[in-house]
Amino acid sequence: MEVWMNDEVPERSLLRYSRFQLILQGDLGPFNPGLPVEVPVWLAINLKQRQKCRLIPPEWMDVAKLEEIREQERKEDTFTPMPSPYYMELTKLLLNYASDNIPKADEIRTLVKDTWDTRVAKLRLSADSFVQQQEAHAKLDNLTLMEINTTGTFLTQALDRMYKLRTNLQPGESSHSQDF
Amino acid sequence: MEANLKRAKSGDLKVSVHRMEIERIRYVLSSYLRCRLVKIEKFFPHVLEKEKSRAEGEPSILSPEEFAFAKEYMANTETYLKNVALKHMPPNLQKVSLLKSVPKPNLDSFVFLRVLERQENILVEPETDEQREYTIDLEQGSQHLIRYRTIAPLVASGAVQLI
Repeated sequence: MEVWMNDEVPERSLLRYSRFQLILQGDLGPFNPGLPVEVPVWLAINLKQRQKCRLIPPEWMDVAKLEEIREQERKEDTFTPMPSPYYMELTKLLLNYASDNIPKADEIRTLVKDTWDTRVAKLRLSADSFVQQQEAHAKLDNLTLMEINTTGTFLTQALDRMYKLRTNLQPGESSHSQDF
Repeated sequence: MEANLKRAKSGDLKVSVHRMEIERIRYVLSSYLRCRLVKIEKFFPHVLEKEKSRAEGEPSILSPEEFAFAKEYMANTETYLKNVALKHMPPNLQKVSLLKSVPKPNLDSFVFLRVLERQENILVEPETDEQREYTIDLEQGSQHLIRYRTIAPLVASGAVQLI
């Protein structure tokens, strides 16, 4: 999955150039040592790996906020909106490459994992009831792409198969036997 | 972009950032192309049939290179089938209709989508005999799971986006 995300990064003294121009995202910079600058996540991770910068975590990545999010997720039956549609990917990347820049990294990891587990469990339950009651439509607001993709392929294939079995119940229909 | 790179004699960082971006763009473009080629290979007789039957004024669904690829693929498959099996069959069985034997794309499969423009009164057909059909409104920014056939025209017009 290719995603475009933005993050914050302050540059240190090793940079000499003040501006960049990226094809798809426009101008970046100016890069002045010690001052924070917003860059796409891929660039931030790369610069961090080359030890040219320090990463600042997004404002929702803090213990109190994540605890609140987790509690709300556990209380509600439906899905609550997440601070970022890419919260899982961002957490993983930032905790892998920049855990020294993030206060209480381990707690954050646990909190995000708990929230993820709750949401995926809800998703499994609702997929189960969808299939059992043979609904034709489901509204899935507030689900992030990563969560959809965990069950997405399996769910759509299962639903396709079931639909096929259902519509072929009448014998002698002129449907092509080779429809895939 | 690559011309710019050669011109920049200045040091490492700018060059490497540009290079990274080129690589990223190249990856996205080539994975898009790969996806289209997979579709062509999977459904080639139907793709060519649709291309043949489109009206004069409508834009082509394939690029010229893709069209050439599809035609070659069809010719190659036919030659292969003929040489491997068909020419050893009795004379009246030596034709195979690729259009009938290659599976059609399944327009009834379920897809996930995100709504870009608000839509009203989309008809949802019942799955079982006990259910009635009902209509739903698609709010902007919401996500849904539904059969492709009902929303196919909306995808073509850009009002919803498949995810």
